[in-house]
Amino acid sequence: MKLAGKAKMLRIHFGEDDKWHDKPLYEAIVMKCRELDIAGASVFRGIEGYGASTLIHRSHLLWSSDRPIMVSVIDSEPNIARLLPVLDEMVGEGLIAISEVEVIRYVHQDGVRSPAL
Amino acid sequence: MLTAGPGRKVGIYVAEDQQYHGSAAYAAILDFLFFHGVSGATVTRGIAGFGADHRLQTANLVDLAVRLPVKVEFIESAEKVESLLPKLHEMVGTGLIEMHDTTIVKPAEKRTHDNAPEGPALKREGKAKIMRIYVGENDKWNGKPLYEAIVSGLRSHDIAGATVYRGILGYGANRRIHKDAALSLSHDRPILLSVVDTEEKLQAFMPILDQMVQQGLVVLSDVDVIKYAHNYKQAERRQEART
Repeated sequence: MKLAGKAKMLRIHFGEDDKWHDKPLYEAIVMKCRELDIAGASVFRGIEGYGASTLIHRSHLLWSSDRPIMVSVIDSEPNIARLLPVLDEMVGEGLIAISEVEVIRYVHQDGVRSPAL
Repeated sequence: MLTAGPGRKVGIYVAEDQQYHGSAAYAAILDFLFFHGVSGATVTRGIAGFGADHRLQTANLVDLAVRLPVKVEFIESAEKVESLLPKLHEMVGTGLIEMHDTTIVKPAEKRTHDNAPEGPALKREGKAKIMRIYVGENDKWNGKPLYEAIVSGLRSHDIAGATVYRGILGYGANRRIHKDAALSLSHDRPILLSVVDTEEKLQAFMPILDQMVQQGLVVLSDVDVIKYAHNYKQAERRQEART
């Protein structure tokens, strides 16, 4: 896997309780990314937020909480384009945002690295 | 701010249990003075006293008196005091207000944050870059967590700021899923550092980062900085300039 220069960053925002085929949507998205050979994906859990439904999502001690989840994916434009239709199907209520990024460095264990800019 | 010279000293006497619109009268008066820009006020609680009704009130437990006298005192310029009096008159109820001329020999000063170093001018507005660094939680650098080492490195390079986020799930170049699960052996959760500063400053840090990050991803994108305030002294000065 090589990733260098201009790339796209995809951020997907939805709720922790969102499901895809009975498993957490964020897990399903990460698995799908791996299946599609996307360079990487990370899931972050927020502590509070609100979205299209304007319902405040926040963690609560006593009952189950629908906290905000953000999945961030960085890959080349063609790969992101490949992922988009799949995500479109999976993410029912949520937000997908794309932005331009410049990859400075991408290294993995075997020592294969992108040229430093 | 008070200046040295003539001023007025106002003393307001109320009973401790006296109410004004549902809260203690002395507290309501103190709030009123605070939000009307009075430079300072002191509330003193008496231990004994008597008022218009000529009933002696003491702090003696046996008497269980609750109508102890409370005195609110403040010093301000004559004009300021004039503007506050009508409302105070209303708030004080059955209490008493006295006032006399005084001379301010030395006005109180705001405590300065001497221990906060002046530091380089870090305030930036406008175009900047955001650098996102993706590493693993278990990555180490010289025996300490890599993300901590990066943050201290950034700090020593006067980079405006950095925030570390811990993810709950992810995979990277090596295809291994990093998951935050109680029973899973691996706790190598994804870590995201987000750093905002000008492109030059970030580029200057790049060679160091290159040495530190053995495995991971570093990306850069454009951002617009809307607001960035960096130290007490400057923020305070700006606040004063505004008022």
